[in-house]
Amino acid sequence: MTAWIVRRLAASIAIVLAVVTLTFFLIHLAGGSPCGQSDAQSVAPEVCARLRAQFGLDRPLWEQYGKYLWAVLHGELGQSFWQRRPVIAALQDALPNTLLLAGTALVIDFTLGLALGVYQAARARRFGDIALGNAALFVNSMPTFWLGLVLLLVFAQWLHLVPVGGTHDPVLCSRLDSLQCVADRLWHLALPATTLGVVGAAATARFQRNAMLEVLAQDFVRTARAKGLRERRVLLVHALRNALLPSITLFGLAFPFLLTGAVLVEWVFAWPGMGWLSVMAIGQRDYPVVTATALVASAMVTLGNLLADVLYVAADPRIRVRGA
Amino acid sequence: MTVGTWLALAGALVLALVVGAEARRAAGPVGRRFFRHPTAAPGLVVLAFFVTLALAAPVIAPYPWYLQLDPVHLANQPPSWRFPLGTDPLSRDVWSRLVFGARFSLGIGSLAMLVAVSVGAAVGAVAGYFRRWPDAVLMRLVDVGLAIPRIFVLLVIVALWDRVSLPVLVLLIGLTGWFGTSRLVRAEVLSLREREFVAAARALGARPGRVIFRHVLPNTTAPIIVSAALGIGSVMLLEAGLSYLGIGVPSPKPSWGNMIAEGQDRLASAPWTSLFPGLAISLVVMALNAVGDALRDALDPHKEAA
Repeated sequence: MTAWIVRRLAASIAIVLAVVTLTFFLIHLAGGSPCGQSDAQSVAPEVCARLRAQFGLDRPLWEQYGKYLWAVLHGELGQSFWQRRPVIAALQDALPNTLLLAGTALVIDFTLGLALGVYQAARARRFGDIALGNAALFVNSMPTFWLGLVLLLVFAQWLHLVPVGGTHDPVLCSRLDSLQCVADRLWHLALPATTLGVVGAAATARFQRNAMLEVLAQDFVRTARAKGLRERRVLLVHALRNALLPSITLFGLAFPFLLTGAVLVEWVFAWPGMGWLSVMAIGQRDYPVVTATALVASAMVTLGNLLADVLYVAADPRIRVRGA
Repeated sequence: MTVGTWLALAGALVLALVVGAEARRAAGPVGRRFFRHPTAAPGLVVLAFFVTLALAAPVIAPYPWYLQLDPVHLANQPPSWRFPLGTDPLSRDVWSRLVFGARFSLGIGSLAMLVAVSVGAAVGAVAGYFRRWPDAVLMRLVDVGLAIPRIFVLLVIVALWDRVSLPVLVLLIGLTGWFGTSRLVRAEVLSLREREFVAAARALGARPGRVIFRHVLPNTTAPIIVSAALGIGSVMLLEAGLSYLGIGVPSPKPSWGNMIAEGQDRLASAPWTSLFPGLAISLVVMALNAVGDALRDALDPHKEAA
């Protein structure tokens, strides 16, 4: 078990290193420079050269790469051309926002998804199941950002229930120093997190319904029913516990989905997280920031997969016996 | 809209229904299993309708996609008989742009998927057939590819090129989407390569390339088709997202994604500009998912044996 975890950890680290290499070369192959923008035509060549020297862009590629790798290992992600401060500082501002958004969305995703999936399995092939199944299919087919816009239109523009964007009220609550301001943050969080969570829940519900149906067809469920247990107990205790196992895999899959979705949802709601930062940075040709966000996102996905794998092995004794 | 364009729209609807009915009538054993899926037929009709829109766009659209009718008086008009889906902030007819947008959204989706499936099948077949180091190298590459959220790769590449032309965009979306397919094909090939007919082909002196492409890959078409059908939907959503962020299909050209972005600033006063293209994407992706599910049920060899 320990040996397996160590091997799995080493593989994850190798993947992250490969991603660092890939993103670095990708960006350098694509070209672009801090003074290559069309509206920066007035920058004098010597100023440009000095800027390039300052950022080390005049060095050979392998040297830049070696330096970059060394720096990344030390948590040093370079200078942002656009924000004129270390990339790590920009990320430190953005990452908590993304984690808050994605984390809340994850909770909505799984609570709503599991509840709907169990309900659908209990009422399989009846009206409630079919209606919810089709609704989930439709939600799953929507562009996440479009769903965000529709919710924005209905709940912010028409009903005035929630604010149209941002993470907090900049005038009243620039700092998190009272209960009212905590409420303000949650109020701003509601719509983006719901958007992201509901789309995820549609997929989770579908998956969970099928997992439940598979378990409900097994003999021990018949035994439980034959013992005279209430249907509620059969469903929620006997069946659900076994049907939860495959959804751990789903947990691993949710990471790339949430981070990808977060890019667009953050853009819709002007939520200053990593996706928003990345898109803004792209407009400014600020590739240290772009590389860093891609890198952090990949590291998070890899970590998520690792976590899901370990959880799965920890939760399922059958795998452990097989000598994983 | 004139009588002619209404007639053309009605024609597209009828054509879609006829295609659906014909397909159902001509269905063989696999086709009958396909249509047994309750959402297969509606999905097929929706797809046929939008494909017809895309192909016959100049006939069906009342105005050219670029035409600004009257920026002063006809901007942000609500849906009416003349403009069935309203007009956008630049006084262009939303319905016309939606019809032409079908060309971009469907075209990019299917072409990018074609690229992804070809690369994925080739890589998966090579890895599964040769095993040893090609397999190890290629599959580690796939691990890395799957670890980077696709949109971040595309954000990096698309934005750092000065101008991404449409063919390049299609290639980029395709080349970042083959990892899943290659794993699937590899697994199939790993079991196929042990079968007698492959041994026979090899014994007859066929080269690896011939064995792979003539004997092994044709037997993996079913899972490839299913994963392609289910994948086009996600590719279309990705393209819409990129275009929405302003780095996909460049703006004057209508893609359903950038149409949503164009209406965003006027969302409260003129929601139709953003709402209808999003609805179109949702419908098409849902139809693709329904058809993909039905295809999987129809082509699944395990069910065939039962």
